[in-house]
Amino acid sequence: MEKEGLGLEITELRLGLPGRDVAEKMMKKRAFTEMNMTSSGSNSDQCESGVVSSGGDVEKVNDSPAAKSQVVGWPPVCSYRRKNSCKEASTTKVGLGYVKVSMDGVPYLRKMDLGSSQGYDDLAFALDKLFGIRGIGVALKDGDNCEYVTIYEDKDGDWMLAGDVPWGMFIESCKRLRIMKRSDASGFGLQPRGVDE
Amino acid sequence: MNYFPDEVIEHVFDFVTSHKDRNAISLVCKSWYKIERYSRQKVFIGNCYAINPERLLRRFPCLKSLTLKGKPHFADFNLVPHEWGGFLLPWIEALARSRVGLEELRLKRMVVTDESLELLSRSFVNFKSLVLVSCEGFTTDGLASIAANCRHLRDLDLQENEIDDHRGQWLSCFPDTCTTLVTLNFACLEGETNLVALERLVARSPNLKSLKLNRAVPLDALARLMVCAPQIVDLGVGSYENDPDSESYLKLKAAIKKCTSLRSLSGFLEAAPHCLSAFHPICHNLTSLNLSYAAEIHGSHLIKLIQHCKKLQRLWILDSIGDKGLEVVASTCKELQELRVFPSDLLGGGNTAVTEEGLVAISAGCPKLHSILYFCQQMTNAALVTVAKNCPNFIRFRLCILDPTKPDHVTSQPLDEGFGAIVKACKSLRRLSLSGLLTDQVFLYIGMYANQLEMLSIAFAGDTDKGMLYVLNGCKKMKKLEIRDSPFGDTALLADVSKYKTMRSLWMSSCEVTLSGCKRLAQKAPWLNVEIINENDNNRMEENGHEGRQKVDKLYLYRTVVGTRMDAPPFVWIL
Repeated sequence: MEKEGLGLEITELRLGLPGRDVAEKMMKKRAFTEMNMTSSGSNSDQCESGVVSSGGDVEKVNDSPAAKSQVVGWPPVCSYRRKNSCKEASTTKVGLGYVKVSMDGVPYLRKMDLGSSQGYDDLAFALDKLFGIRGIGVALKDGDNCEYVTIYEDKDGDWMLAGDVPWGMFIESCKRLRIMKRSDASGFGLQPRGVDE
Repeated sequence: MNYFPDEVIEHVFDFVTSHKDRNAISLVCKSWYKIERYSRQKVFIGNCYAINPERLLRRFPCLKSLTLKGKPHFADFNLVPHEWGGFLLPWIEALARSRVGLEELRLKRMVVTDESLELLSRSFVNFKSLVLVSCEGFTTDGLASIAANCRHLRDLDLQENEIDDHRGQWLSCFPDTCTTLVTLNFACLEGETNLVALERLVARSPNLKSLKLNRAVPLDALARLMVCAPQIVDLGVGSYENDPDSESYLKLKAAIKKCTSLRSLSGFLEAAPHCLSAFHPICHNLTSLNLSYAAEIHGSHLIKLIQHCKKLQRLWILDSIGDKGLEVVASTCKELQELRVFPSDLLGGGNTAVTEEGLVAISAGCPKLHSILYFCQQMTNAALVTVAKNCPNFIRFRLCILDPTKPDHVTSQPLDEGFGAIVKACKSLRRLSLSGLLTDQVFLYIGMYANQLEMLSIAFAGDTDKGMLYVLNGCKKMKKLEIRDSPFGDTALLADVSKYKTMRSLWMSSCEVTLSGCKRLAQKAPWLNVEIINENDNNRMEENGHEGRQKVDKLYLYRTVVGTRMDAPPFVWIL
C-alpha cells in the first residue's frame, strides 16, 4: 500500500510538530492507516507485538493486519483481556506443563510435568517411576522389545505414537499420554524406527 | 421545614439509597445536609483525586462503604503509564487513623499494594467486603493478610486484576473459623491453587453464593466443589478439560443437576467443548453467561448451549460466534438485556467475526436490549438506523469497528447518519462509544439529541473544533468525555471553561491541543487539575523555543476540591 507522501512522520506518540499544519488536520482521518505503515515505531510492549514477531502463521488478510495491531490501545480491549486472549493463541494445551498419563490396567490416572523432562530418555525414566513398573520407558527407545506402547493425544485430538517427532515438537503438541499394552495394539504393524534423541 | 424530629427524617432518608438522590437531598437545606451526612454510610468517589480522605471523613464520619476509582478509563488500553497514580495506601492510612468502621471497599483502576491490604485487614474489625476491579500492584501475600485477619469476611471479589501470584498458600490462610464467605472470586490468579484448602473452605461456607475459580482448578476438583456447594448462584469454571467417560465428569454431571440455584456461569478458561452438555440441565435457569474468555468454545457446541438458555439476560461472548450464532441468540434469548461481543482475533481480519447483520438480528429479536458492546468488522448506516428503530431503549451503546476509520461498507459514506439515528431514537442513552469514519456532523447530532448522555468515547473522528463544541454545548449531562486521535484543539478546549465544573473529567490524547492552550485553561479554572502526561521527553516542553505551540500528547483534566495532587510522577505535569 502506498504511503502518499506523508510517510512515517505521523506516529501516535509524537510530541508534536511546531505550529499547526492544516494539511495535517485533513490527514488525521488517514492517520490510522498511516500508523499501520510504521513497522516498529510504536512502543507497544503488549503482546500484540509479541504475537506479531513470533507469528510465523499470522494470516495476511487485507492490509497487513499484523501491522494494524501496533497502534497503541487499539482495538480498545482492556489489557487484562488482551493478555488472556493472547495466551489462548500462543500457549499449548499443556497449560501449566502437566499432562494426564493413563495406563491400561491401572484404575487411576497420574499427572506429570512434561516440562521437567529433557528428552525421550528422561520421559522414559519418569514414566517408569510414575507407575513403578519398569519397562514402559523401553517402549520409547526400542519399539519392538517391550510389553507397552506409549501413545499421546496431540493438539488436533489424534492419538499418535510417541517418539516419532523431535522432543521439542512433541512437548508442544502433547495433551495427554497413554500407555497401552502392546497386545492391544497388535495387528497395526508397528515398524521399528531408528529412534534417537 | 422541619415538622419532624431529626430521627424521623433520618429514617426517611434510609430509604433513599442512590448516590445521586442522596447528593440531591443534602443540597435542600442546612438541616438536611447535616442529617444526611451523619446518616450516610455509602459513598461513591468517581475520581480519587477529586477529594482527599480527610475531607471525606470530615463530612461523612459514619462511613461504612467506600467506592473509589483511580486511573482514567483509557488506562485500560495502555494509554496511561503505570506509575501515573491512583494509590490506595494514603486512603487506607487515613481511614485507619480516623477509626471509621469501614466494612466495604470497592476499587477500580487503583494501585493497591500488599502493604495497603495488610493495613486494611488489621484496621477494621468489621470489614466484610473487598471488590477489586482492574487494579494492580499487589500479590497473593496481600490476599493472605485479608484471608487471615478479616474475621467476618463476606466477599473477596477479584475481577481482571494484575496480581503477582506467589503460588503461596493464601487460601489456607482463611482460619477454620471463617464460615461467612458469600463471594469468592479468584479467576484472575495465574498460579497453582491449593485445592485441598479450597475444598475445605468451600465446604465450611454454607452461605457461599458466588464462586469463580482460576485456571488451575481442574475438572475433578470442580466436581467436588459443586458437591459441597449446591446452593451456588454464580459459578466461574476454571479449567474444563476432561474425558467424557471419566468418573469425575460423571460426578460433575450429577453435581450440576443439583445446583438448582445456579443463575450465572462464566470462565471455561480452558475448555473441552464437547463436554459442555453437562451444563445443559441447568441452562434454562441461567440469566447470565460469560464465555468471553472461552476461546475454545465455538461452533455447534456453543450454539447448542445457547439454545438451552432461554432466560438469559446478560451474554458476554467472543465474535467467533458469528452472525449466524447471533441469529440463534436473537431467536432464543428473548429476555436479553445486555450483550457484549469481544474480538477473538486481536490481529484483525478474522473470518468468523461479526458484522452489521448480527447486530440487526439481535436488535430485532431482543426487545429488552438496553446495553451493548459490539466489536465488529464493518457497519452500515442502514443497519444502525434499523437498530435504532428496533431498540429505542438503549442506555449504553458502544460500537467498535475494528478498523476505526472505516466508512459504511456499502455506500462508503461516513457513519454520521447511523449514529445520529441512534442518539435521536434512544432518549435514555447514557453512554456512547463511536467508531468508523465520522465527520463533525455526528457530533452535531449528539449535541442536539443526546440529552441524557453522561459518557462519550471518541477515537479517530471529526474534522474541526466544531465537532467537540457541539458536544460540549449540547450534552448538558456530560460527565466523562474521552477523546483520542481527533482534530480538536484549543478553541474547543477553551470555549466554555465553566462546563468542566459539571463534568468529572476530560481526556484528550493525540489531538490538537497545545501547551499554551492548556496553560490558559489552568489559569482560568483553578478548581481544575490540568495534567499533561508526557512520557517521552520530560523537559522538552520547556526547553523548546516553540513551547507554547507544542502539541500536548496526553491531556487529562478533572475537577477537584483539593487542588494539585502531591503524588504525581515526574512525567506528569500539573499546570
